[in-house]
Amino acid sequence: MDGTVLLQLLLNALSLGAAYGLVALGFALVIGATGAVNFAQGDLVMAGGLLTVALASLLPVDGLLLLPLVVLAMAGLGLLVCALAYLPFRNAPPVSVFVSTIAVGILLQNGANGLFGAAPRAGPPLLSGGEVGFGGLVLDRQSLAVIVAAVLLAGGTWLLLHRSQIGRRMRATAQDPEMARAMGVNTTRTIALTFALATALAGAAGLLLSNRYFVTPVEGTNLMLKAYIAVVVGGWGRIGGALAGAMLVAGFEVIVSSVLSYPVAEAGLYICVLLLLLLRPQGVFGEALGRRV
Amino acid sequence: MHRTAKTVAAILLAGATALAAESAAAADDKKAVFPVLVPITGFLALEGTAQRNGAVLALDEGIDGVAARYEVQDTGTSPEVAVNALLRALSRDEVTAVAASIFGTQMLAMMPVAAEAEVPLLTVSGTAKLTEMGNPWVFRFFPTDAVVKVAQARYIVEELGKKRPAIIYQTTAYGQSGQAHLLAAFEKLGAKVVYEEGLAPDVKDMLPALTKALAADPDVLVLHLHSGLTALFVRQAKANGTDLPIVAGSAMHQPTTAALLEPAELAGVCAESGSSPISGGSPEMNAFAETYRVRFDAEPDAFALGQYDAMRMALTAIAEGAATPEALREKLATTEYRGLAMTYKSDGTGNMAHDAVIVCYDGESRIPHIAARYENVDGAR
Repeated sequence: MDGTVLLQLLLNALSLGAAYGLVALGFALVIGATGAVNFAQGDLVMAGGLLTVALASLLPVDGLLLLPLVVLAMAGLGLLVCALAYLPFRNAPPVSVFVSTIAVGILLQNGANGLFGAAPRAGPPLLSGGEVGFGGLVLDRQSLAVIVAAVLLAGGTWLLLHRSQIGRRMRATAQDPEMARAMGVNTTRTIALTFALATALAGAAGLLLSNRYFVTPVEGTNLMLKAYIAVVVGGWGRIGGALAGAMLVAGFEVIVSSVLSYPVAEAGLYICVLLLLLLRPQGVFGEALGRRV
Repeated sequence: MHRTAKTVAAILLAGATALAAESAAAADDKKAVFPVLVPITGFLALEGTAQRNGAVLALDEGIDGVAARYEVQDTGTSPEVAVNALLRALSRDEVTAVAASIFGTQMLAMMPVAAEAEVPLLTVSGTAKLTEMGNPWVFRFFPTDAVVKVAQARYIVEELGKKRPAIIYQTTAYGQSGQAHLLAAFEKLGAKVVYEEGLAPDVKDMLPALTKALAADPDVLVLHLHSGLTALFVRQAKANGTDLPIVAGSAMHQPTTAALLEPAELAGVCAESGSSPISGGSPEMNAFAETYRVRFDAEPDAFALGQYDAMRMALTAIAEGAATPEALREKLATTEYRGLAMTYKSDGTGNMAHDAVIVCYDGESRIPHIAARYENVDGAR
């Protein structure tokens, strides 16, 4: 395996991990805010991808220019998901939210199938152009663009959570909703904003994935599984852990499948997750919530 | 005024006579009920939708002497849904035959019900087992791997002169069946498979497989993958600067797969298939493709054409006197029918399709041309 291929493999792993990271980040945000698992997160990524495809047919520009539109529209969808699938069930047992988010996921899948058909679709590239030179090596520009975009989005999310009043309210609600409410935080509004942010990130991930890996209405289930594993690996409800977990999952997949095979990589990933749950159930970086459901 | 009244009366009389004649003819038409039970949602929705479109087009066009009715039911992804749809259809009507799911697992569940109800199932499912179970009510109008994989291997060895294939296949039942037939065909043709690897349907990055395949020094890349992965692999191979020929499975002939790639990325890429409606070849085929485009705002593929031919063969058999499901089964099992894609004839187990084509892209458009035809590959016709 020569240097170019090795570097391209690492770049692919980083690029895939960055996109998985945005999915896992949104997933972890909702867990943090509500303690409930949003099983529609993968389907929201799919919705973001197909929205990108639809927008690109109307505005044939680079994905980078479509990104703000997708993020805004998906944030609106997040508010709708919150209103339909979370708020009516917030005082019911957690299983109610599982079921309601699964229902939202199925609705999204079938809605996408009805609107777009079942065929895989390709979104626009984030940036036009094929390859870029780097120290004598030729690397895929899309991989680099996806990594940069994902890092900026994750960084923006971190700044929002840690350097803004809204973020402080979100974190307060995530840590102790009762206390946050007692301190005057409108927890319902904060949770709705969290759903909006998580869904916006899902939309961004959908846009980033739609060009390199295409998008189909049934894509969400696998992405949801990857996000779930990333959160388990990184620590339940831990935002940074989810990102790191996503990178580990993507890196493991790409590297092991390069050296051994895809079936070994897939089996190995699940064996590692099982071992982790057995030996360190709080995840590699520890559990933020301690209220896994 | 008087003349006008007479003229109007004459026109009314003529109209009434024509209507009466038509009603009489319609009354004489043989009634036929065809539930269309196919997956329109779920992971096989792409193929299932093509199958539905083919069936609906044939039934809407109809045939003189047959008054056909149909109802489309989505079978989703589970066998129970398919069986329930079949039971519901059987309980509501005197079903003549069923346009049945492309999903082999659903077919396996529906087959005992159809056998008990004595109703023919007409499908384009590729699952080999369907026609190996001794169920006389199943008819498959799409060539099995025993046909298309042999054609694929023969094209690679005999036409391209390649003897060192690397095979990338899907780890699903579909993929493993294709891989087994490819291995057997290459061995028979004296080609040495230098590399093979299975991919799960959710694999995203193709570079690991491509890198390992190229390290084995193949002279051709052979794919047997679903639509999205086929396009991902071709794109990765082209981005990697690979100039080896790629001969893919039938997913690559689907217009929806080609639409994922730029024409330049398709240069040197070929695919096996039962047929390729968009490639044309005859005025009838061109007319079918155009009608399909107008009706469904989509490009037809081999699954759509296979199911179209299946329904046309059933309608023709009914028009020729096969008035009951048993008579239709007998007719399907024993007669030859010249469809648009090929001539169909049962091999005694319900396999009706025995021809294959190889299509290739020229790098300038997404419409492939037919590079080779293989007729009666399994010698069953």
